[in-house]
Amino acid sequence: MSASKLNLIAYLYSTDKPTDQFEVTDVPSDIISSIKFASSGRKFLASSWDRYVYVYHITESGASLAQKIQHRAPVLDAVWGEDEDVIYSGGLDWDVRRIDLKTSEQTVISSHSAAAHALAFSKDHQILISSSWDSTINIHHTSTSPENRHLSTLKLRQKPFSISLSKTKLVVAMASRALDVYSLESFVEAATTSKPSAENPFLVFEPWQKRESSLKFQTRAVACMPNDQGYASSSIEGRVAVEWFDPSAESQAKKYAFKCHRQPASDGSGIDIVYPVNALAFHPVHGTFASGGGDGFVAVWDGITKRRIRQYQRFPASIAGLDFSSDGKYLVIAVSPGFEDGKEGEGAGEVRIFVRELNESETKPKAAKE
Amino acid sequence: MGKKKRSQPDLEEILQRPWCYYCERDFDDLKILINHQKAKHFKCDRCGRRLNTAGGLSVHMTQVHKESLTTIENALPNRAGLEVEIFGMEGIPEDVVIAHRQRVATQFVQAGNQPMNHNVNPATAGINSAKKPRLEAGSDLKKRLAEHKAKKAAVEEAAATDTASPVVDTPVGQPQSYPPPVFTPPQLLPGFAGPPGPTGLMNMGGPAFNGYAPPYGQAPTPFQAPSFTSPPVPFGQQPFEAPPFQVPQNAYAPPSQYQTGLPNIPSRPFGANLPDALHQVSSAPPPSMLQTPRPNSLPSAPGLPQRPSFGAPSVNAFQLQQMHQGHIPNSSLPYADQPKPTNGIPALASNVIPATVSQPPQPSVQLQTSTEIPKEEAKPAESSIEKRSKKDKDKDIKLVYSDNDISPEEKLSKLARYAFHPVRQEAATAGA
Repeated sequence: MSASKLNLIAYLYSTDKPTDQFEVTDVPSDIISSIKFASSGRKFLASSWDRYVYVYHITESGASLAQKIQHRAPVLDAVWGEDEDVIYSGGLDWDVRRIDLKTSEQTVISSHSAAAHALAFSKDHQILISSSWDSTINIHHTSTSPENRHLSTLKLRQKPFSISLSKTKLVVAMASRALDVYSLESFVEAATTSKPSAENPFLVFEPWQKRESSLKFQTRAVACMPNDQGYASSSIEGRVAVEWFDPSAESQAKKYAFKCHRQPASDGSGIDIVYPVNALAFHPVHGTFASGGGDGFVAVWDGITKRRIRQYQRFPASIAGLDFSSDGKYLVIAVSPGFEDGKEGEGAGEVRIFVRELNESETKPKAAKE
Repeated sequence: MGKKKRSQPDLEEILQRPWCYYCERDFDDLKILINHQKAKHFKCDRCGRRLNTAGGLSVHMTQVHKESLTTIENALPNRAGLEVEIFGMEGIPEDVVIAHRQRVATQFVQAGNQPMNHNVNPATAGINSAKKPRLEAGSDLKKRLAEHKAKKAAVEEAAATDTASPVVDTPVGQPQSYPPPVFTPPQLLPGFAGPPGPTGLMNMGGPAFNGYAPPYGQAPTPFQAPSFTSPPVPFGQQPFEAPPFQVPQNAYAPPSQYQTGLPNIPSRPFGANLPDALHQVSSAPPPSMLQTPRPNSLPSAPGLPQRPSFGAPSVNAFQLQQMHQGHIPNSSLPYADQPKPTNGIPALASNVIPATVSQPPQPSVQLQTSTEIPKEEAKPAESSIEKRSKKDKDKDIKLVYSDNDISPEEKLSKLARYAFHPVRQEAATAGA
């Protein structure tokens, strides 16, 4: 009886579908700032400090560089737009631009007064959000003519670090552990109807929730759950928090945080080297999420049962970005030299991109602990 | 499963539990451990194939996938290396074994248990410590228990003087025998598939074994229970190749149950090896293994599947992890001290940072100000939760990036090579 059970287990293990991971050639020449799958799941883009946005196509034999779009300044983020021929990018030249991949035409749709470091696109609302180190958020409507896209600008209470959109919410993680959650629908409505004036150029709009981050250190990344119930955030201090939007006490009681991406110092001093958790990405189907750290590890977590599902072999340098394809079949991993105190821009390692073909067991939630 | 019935758990049996070098999880049974290692640590990332050892996986990765294996998956950070060749309990470096035992023993004592008194001769301890770690057969253990009890009185004062860590020395000093690797009963098949031998023997497999209940109740699980597949031929005729294992110090006296229970087995020809043989039988190698016996390896036995009991004796997996956390400077482990078993997987602790939507938590605020001193910052955070054995082991941390207010990207953007000049901006805008 138990022997047959054991055999069954062995059988299950042995019949795991083969997984594959391949490395992408023609990678950017400098640190990758973001990596994003298109909704078809067969194309992805990478934006880089080398002033280019790269578009790759996944083919039978791997992934090939299809296009690279030059910018005049390092690109800090890029997202796919309304279809797979449109990309939006933001960078150190403060501009948010729309790029038509067919014509390679670039249109500046708004400008901040500091670098535009993060973008988010909502397909449902046809809204593009850009956030900038000038502590503002620009909201753009993408289905109107390019000149009129920029709807309004919202002044944030702190400098933003990361933004993420879910179906109905916008989460903005900021300095001083501030974190705001906006209701997207009313935000869009307010932005559409607002009439910015010279004396008051900013949209007046209160977030749905003002939160304090569960993490004590600078937030590195925030990502909304695909089921729109909550979000995960990560900090420079090797930690990830999972929280729920629902303000009720019982939902708030569910939140938690955990340590990860820490390695013992190699000198045997017993000190833990704690790496920033640079990237978070939710699996669109299973609702599990991956974290990527400065230690070069990528781990897949089940946020509900609070378990780690997988940890992949260490990548050669810091993880700069992660994204699942919308069908959940691929995970793309951007590897870049990491950030370290006092060594800005001198991090070790080279730029690499890996695409991992996932099998079910890698991302599927595990049964709850007995 | 083993110890619950007893009022006082035995350190010995906790120490005897097979445990995984890579993740320090312990198991009821060696076979479970081996299966665990194959599934968790030696499984190919790419094709799901389960290899027997890290070396095997490495070769597989190189040959099949043209990749080089650098770390063992799911391993504790300082155990992820490929330098040591592990199979089951074999190959674990001496210092790690000692550390493990120390931790188990410390935990045991902390849990309020009395260690068994053992006579530990420092000299022999030293000698034995040069040996590889060995898993002890249940029969050996049983014998030793009897032995220890007999000597208990005599050793008391020795134990009393041994104030340093009597518990710790004990396991090291004890010879531990390992199942002989190449004992391969030809007709022996997993389970009861053997030809109908003496029926008395066959019956041994199940109910008859109950006669052993008391001693085995104390024993670690490996030798426990159902699939005691008895050999169809007497032991005396088995091609038995004695491995280089340590014969217990004292003349071996098999427990009487053996003799009564296994009348067909000539007890003397094997002498001290008998119990090992018995154990071996219980973990008969599968046919594949029979063809290629691995010297120095444990046979992976299909015949004796045991349910891994996670609520292990007095030291559950989680507590082990806890203890180990101190020793293992690491962790991808959760940071709350939740008393729940982790299964060797860093379970996400349900953490308690009290930040709420509306209410700023006190501790967090204090912490935030101490960014500059990472050493101090971890402590209040954790001490505010529970603290037990973790306290002194809570290590210092060093942030790779510690600026709490400026993002790495913003710092990077200030470098000259990324500078964006407004002059250029205008020109470019005009061009665009």
